[in-house]
Amino acid sequence: MNMHNPILSDMRKDITRRGFVTSLSVGVAGLVLSPRVANAAPKHPAPRPGITGEHVLKGKDLEKYPKLVPLFDSIRKIPQVIDGIHCNCGCTNGMEFYSLLSCYEAKGMARDCAICQGQGRLAVRLHSEGKTLDQIRAAIDAKFA
Amino acid sequence: MRITLIALLAMPVPLAAQIRASEAGMISQTIDGTTITVDYSRPRARGRESLFGTKYVRWGETWTPGANWATTIQVNKPDTMAGHPVATGKYSVWMVVRQDSNWTVVLDPKSHLFHMNPPDSAGSQIRIPVRVQSAPFTDVLTWSMPEVRMDGGVLAMQWERVKVPLDITVQPSLVTTLPAGDAAPYIGQYSFSEKDSAGKERLSLFTITHEDGTLKGQWTPDDPYMKKFALIRIGADTFAPGVYDEKGVLYEILKPDLVVEFKRENGKVRSFTIRDMEDELWGTGTRKP
Repeated sequence: MNMHNPILSDMRKDITRRGFVTSLSVGVAGLVLSPRVANAAPKHPAPRPGITGEHVLKGKDLEKYPKLVPLFDSIRKIPQVIDGIHCNCGCTNGMEFYSLLSCYEAKGMARDCAICQGQGRLAVRLHSEGKTLDQIRAAIDAKFA
Repeated sequence: MRITLIALLAMPVPLAAQIRASEAGMISQTIDGTTITVDYSRPRARGRESLFGTKYVRWGETWTPGANWATTIQVNKPDTMAGHPVATGKYSVWMVVRQDSNWTVVLDPKSHLFHMNPPDSAGSQIRIPVRVQSAPFTDVLTWSMPEVRMDGGVLAMQWERVKVPLDITVQPSLVTTLPAGDAAPYIGQYSFSEKDSAGKERLSLFTITHEDGTLKGQWTPDDPYMKKFALIRIGADTFAPGVYDEKGVLYEILKPDLVVEFKRENGKVRSFTIRDMEDELWGTGTRKP
């Protein structure tokens, strides 16, 4: 493990120390721009009964984001989980966004937001490991809240 | 002539065009989720060499460090200023100006007061004794945050040759220490595996210790950026790295950028993973026998 020496550069050309700091800045900017009070305990929404993944973006909406297609596909398969998660990038504070699932629908904020993507990937992985919604919420809060 | 004058008087004057002797200013600083905002008007010395102890700001006066409407300080979370607790809220700011440099900063919960109407002393106020410092001449009254730490910083007002520093401590969002009993299951040596861009495995040694009440991790060979870093608990068996500066003071917590998740087998910590903000796996540690 090396955060900024040549080993890391060799190992991960897409995440050099500079890239890392940039991604950090983007994350911080997202947090600063969001209206939420930092560190406030998030209140997770209840999954809406009968919620489906039919509105999760696909096809031409993801043409410019081919690397994200597997993530959106995974999100589409577990709407009842993703709809029970508060998004910590601040977007779900608005009336338009109900849950993390909303980030993957309509305006498709998750296409450009590293925090939406990170929470989605974490939720998908933990769900595949058999974790409950409450356990997934706790893990997301620990990392992103 | 009369019609022209009436027409001129009736014309709206855009507020943006107003030029004031003391223009409005604002500073805002967020530290670990606590945001401190100072909203003030900024008087200028305008060639006046001396301001304090003159007709402009008299000794013994309760003066707002600004102009027009009193300067305000707003905090979104409880904090302390020079050791004095300050509750969430907005306060007008005053200073009792004394010749012997022992001033008193007064925070009054009545935030909307005109500078000509300083509040009387009241139990609802927060009164903070401060020692004034000498500083290079400052023409425009300036509030700033010249020092920012992970746990607070210094808020300062400067004007003329006077500097009034206020040390601020914020409520930490994370506890950086870990009791010895809680730390014990993680302590030990781990073989750390990661892959380079060619998919070739690279191995290193990762050692976890408990020092000065803090769980710490370190790679061998040493990582020049991380060095020996803190492992700060953020959830069950989940930790975020905290990086120390050259003086050994924590200055950055890499959350959510890197998260260390430990795995247990039969209740014992056997391995861990390190993942980035996007949950991508960076490497895996396995406890050495």
